[in-house]
Amino acid sequence: MKNRLKVLRAERNWTQEELGKRVGVSRQAINALETEKHDPSLDLAYRISKEFGTPVETIFTNPYQPS
Amino acid sequence: MSTTVDQKYKIRTALFMGGYVLVNVAAIFGAFDDMKPPGTWAFALVVAAPVAGHLWALLRWMQDSDEFVRAISAKRFIAATGITMALVSAWGFMEVYAKAPHFPLVMVLPGFWAVWGFTAPFIRTTH
Repeated sequence: MKNRLKVLRAERNWTQEELGKRVGVSRQAINALETEKHDPSLDLAYRISKEFGTPVETIFTNPYQPS
Repeated sequence: MSTTVDQKYKIRTALFMGGYVLVNVAAIFGAFDDMKPPGTWAFALVVAAPVAGHLWALLRWMQDSDEFVRAISAKRFIAATGITMALVSAWGFMEVYAKAPHFPLVMVLPGFWAVWGFTAPFIRTTH
């Protein structure tokens, strides 16, 4: 799933490890999200959304939404 | 988070495999040579228990990990299990129909880990 995680992370100078700690997952999990090897559960997507203070749709692209 | 989970897995593995090694080393040095049935049956189950324990430790590790590690491990576990079962079944039929040499059942688990080792690098996504 396409996402803006890497950009949002860079804006805040957070490492993958740091973001992982903030949302309660491993560095590998954050890396897998950024490289589109894993689609987040709704629960994790909401946790990430809360951490960045922005709605889920602005972080993860909805593939079913016509652009 | 994952560090604690990984440490628990390592400790559990060390305990189960330590017991397994101790029992087998004792057997190699003849500690159980005088054993007779039904004691031999019970002893065989004692040797098998740490193996089952280690599988439990692995499944607990998966359960306690985060969603990505859990999903990718589950995918790898299912793939390794499926391939191992297919190979063992094929070999079993070769034993029956083609008089292939007997493959001891105790080698199925090491075989499973070998298959895991070969397949895991190719399973990199949870999709």
